[in-house]
Amino acid sequence: MGSKRDYELKPLFLERMQKLLGKEMPAYLEILKKPIQNSIRCNTLKISPEELLSRLRNKGWEIIQPFKNHPEVMIIKNDLAPGELGRSMEHLLGYYYVQEIASMLPIFALKPKPRELVLDLAAAPGSKTSQIAAEMKNTGTIIANDVSIGRLKILASNMERCGATNSILTKKDGIALCKRLKQEGFLFDKILVDAPCSGEGTLRSSSATARMWNPKTIKSLSRLQKGLLTSALEILRPEGEIVYSTCTHAPEENEEVVDFALNEFKGIVKVEEIKLPIKCRPGLTTWLDNQYSKQLKLSCRIYPQDNDTEGFFLAKIKKIK
Amino acid sequence: MNNIKILDTEEHAEIENKLHKQFGTDIIPGILVMRGSERLFLFTGNFDEKEINKLEKCAFIERMGIYFAKIVDDSLRLSIEGSQILKEQIKKNIFELDEKQAEEWMKGHELPIKTGSHGFIIMKHEGDFLGTGKASNEKIGNFIPKNRRLRERNSS
Repeated sequence: MGSKRDYELKPLFLERMQKLLGKEMPAYLEILKKPIQNSIRCNTLKISPEELLSRLRNKGWEIIQPFKNHPEVMIIKNDLAPGELGRSMEHLLGYYYVQEIASMLPIFALKPKPRELVLDLAAAPGSKTSQIAAEMKNTGTIIANDVSIGRLKILASNMERCGATNSILTKKDGIALCKRLKQEGFLFDKILVDAPCSGEGTLRSSSATARMWNPKTIKSLSRLQKGLLTSALEILRPEGEIVYSTCTHAPEENEEVVDFALNEFKGIVKVEEIKLPIKCRPGLTTWLDNQYSKQLKLSCRIYPQDNDTEGFFLAKIKKIK
Repeated sequence: MNNIKILDTEEHAEIENKLHKQFGTDIIPGILVMRGSERLFLFTGNFDEKEINKLEKCAFIERMGIYFAKIVDDSLRLSIEGSQILKEQIKKNIFELDEKQAEEWMKGHELPIKTGSHGFIIMKHEGDFLGTGKASNEKIGNFIPKNRRLRERNSS
């Protein structure tokens, strides 16, 4: 990846980011020029972080483990050839998953435990699903759903490579699936709604996002995301927890969605504090002419310039009744 | 369930017995699910058949667990994950590869090695279990799926 962007950012996008970031806009634009770090997650279902670290260092890879409490997270500091991470013997044997650090955060927040029943509503390609399986030590059950058969095949292939034996893969529209699961009486301990989004946070690795960006898409995605989150809340057991996440900065796809759910489930759900091993900023309570619940301050905005990662948003919601 | 069938106790035991004869293993740690007439999947979740039937009313079940083994004639061919899951139990019909052979194996090549045995053998390099090969007089046949193969050094 070169040091210069091969795409133009649209004026309206820049205007919105300026509103979000204020005087930090130059730092944001600067980090967009920098290639994303090579990060992997050790698949503890197959190998220990110590053993993987030793093997990869023997290959000459220079590796750091940025988080004391998450030794499975590793950053490769040397320059690797394009695609090299995905071509190594260790990757082919399922010993690690190539995963951007920001994309690991929703599972740090969700904290799935062994023997729980977990729903991953929009699961493909499976980085987070396999992370859930590892946290659950392949016990309990994960229902991993995706609406697209093509994406489901990629999910199946990744689950296989990672040895995620506690997963059941289903194909259905997420909202319709929640409705049916409710009719059949399913209640989940934990749910991940890693919603389809406009992907503003992925600009460092995907130039297509910049080209495809438009405000109409944000509006329509926001409608879909509200549907997904509120449908998922219907099948969360009391005391159960949902993590809602996106890889975008647009408040319409983030705080607005969570605020909508809080209003739909008034007195039944609340936003929980999230502790993450990287810098995150509180969610917004105002955006343009909109006011959101003060609880949104507990949600997390991850900006690329803060931690040298992609951008992300996450909120953890607990059902209190 | 679509074309998925959970093996009952008797069928499960039959597979365990076959694996015991082939590789000396004792226990398959989970539920065996059959897809079609030959592909076996291993599921370690805590859903029972009743819950699975309920789930099936909600959505098309694409997969339960992961691909574990294929029934070929009357024998079993373990997948890479199948061999890894049973690695602590496998006691016989193991072929130890050196580093160069392991690399060739993971590229999907058959190995021109006379093992002295016939039929399915577990391929292993140090601590890595690399699935199953089929030994014949002159070679070991390779079943590494395309998406799990090492690339040739000169390929783009």
